[in-house]
Amino acid sequence: MYEEFLEDIAQTNGLREVNTYLKLVAGLGTILLCLLSSSYIAPLFIATVLSGAILILARIDARTYAELFIVPFSFAVMSVAVIILLSGGNDVYWSWNPLSWFSLSITRESINEGFFVFCRVIGGMSALIFIAVTTPMTDLFVVMRQCRVPEVVLDLAMIIYRSIFMIMDQLVQTYQAQVMRLGYGSFRESIQSFATLCGSVFIGSWNAGEDLIRAMDARCYSGKFAVLGETRPVELSSVLAVAAFLMMSSLVVIFSGNSTLL
Amino acid sequence: MHIMEGFLPLYWAVIWWIVALPCLIFGIYQLKKVLEADREALPLLGVTGGFIFILSSLKLPSVTGSCSHPTGTGLSAVCFGPWITSVVCAIVLLFQALFLAHGGLSVLGANIVSMGIIGPLAGYIVYRSLRDTRVNMYLTVFLACALADLFTYVTTSLELALAYPAEVGGIVSSFVLFMGIFAVTQIPLAIVEGVVLALVFKYIVSLKPDILLRLKVFPEEKIRVARSEA
Repeated sequence: MYEEFLEDIAQTNGLREVNTYLKLVAGLGTILLCLLSSSYIAPLFIATVLSGAILILARIDARTYAELFIVPFSFAVMSVAVIILLSGGNDVYWSWNPLSWFSLSITRESINEGFFVFCRVIGGMSALIFIAVTTPMTDLFVVMRQCRVPEVVLDLAMIIYRSIFMIMDQLVQTYQAQVMRLGYGSFRESIQSFATLCGSVFIGSWNAGEDLIRAMDARCYSGKFAVLGETRPVELSSVLAVAAFLMMSSLVVIFSGNSTLL
Repeated sequence: MHIMEGFLPLYWAVIWWIVALPCLIFGIYQLKKVLEADREALPLLGVTGGFIFILSSLKLPSVTGSCSHPTGTGLSAVCFGPWITSVVCAIVLLFQALFLAHGGLSVLGANIVSMGIIGPLAGYIVYRSLRDTRVNMYLTVFLACALADLFTYVTTSLELALAYPAEVGGIVSSFVLFMGIFAVTQIPLAIVEGVVLALVFKYIVSLKPDILLRLKVFPEEKIRVARSEA
């Protein structure tokens, strides 16, 4: 699972050369629209359009995209079930009152509410995945610097970014070596092996991090990473596409009003 | 578990951002001070951040269908205090949203409050109250890490319950229900996490104790005694 981060996909996606701000406006704008909408229609509309953009324009493998959705999807189903059981309404289909302060019921209103939240999660997730697969972190660092994110935070963010990959490398190697030596045979052994794994990788990548800082110090690092920001041209066609998409989504939000599933 | 994108209504997302921001600003201020005093802390901060990222991405599917994972924030809270940890966590949560589609951007505030502020704060309080007593150093780290993990989940449940109160019993009964769902997987996980992080801490004590002394994590004597026992 870890061998392929979204980052690798983002580096080679079809929308790589589109201006970063434009992609962020599209992604963040739709997240906001999903939250502002009070009906399930707008989030579904947004999810459909963005999924199309991800699959066709960014040329992301459909299988990868589906796999990304599985975890949030299963969690959404679970949490929405809780919401349906907890919230009440007038049209009761089923109810159960084991305690005076605790009751579960399924009503028309609660199904509407649950379905609405479910669609909002789907809409929001597709917008998030859209940003994730089209914009590599390196581009976002440039944006963060231009937005005056404090230098020290940016610095730490880049060190963490680097150490994630260092830790990953060592973790995979050590873990495979442990598995080959039957390190995860029983529960007790698993805990022991996992702790050894974490400990040795922690120290190992800490050393690597110190080497990195020392190497950078030797090259006049003063607590400020120089990021070479490529400024990507803003193309008229993509501006129009994003504007049209946001306009249409806003219209859907306004006209769908409070319409519900049932 | 992180709350995911779109799950919280707009006003709750905004409220949690407002709660998180002052803590982050104070954390950034502290971070600046620590780094000015001791540049060597930077690699350690980076590695702790990377570790939090990886530990909290280990999603274990739970019986109930939601997912649980360790948080790994306790160790950072012990070494650097809760406010710097909140900054590290904010960065990590942003990365997780953008690398793994885990969590979200509008709900980032809520996730920072649960995993970056309340959890580490709980761990830190335990650590501070036990640090200068005769309680074993590793036991202290274990308790701090396990409680940091548990309180993260208590806060997440509270955030969910506040946004979706039950019809009967209101916030309290939905809080109980959300807590119940998490407790099944989270209590054993918190214990495992505490054990693992305490063992990692033992590694640091035996291999690189100097940084712990400089950050004044534990009194010198305790570390010396622990080293001579090992």
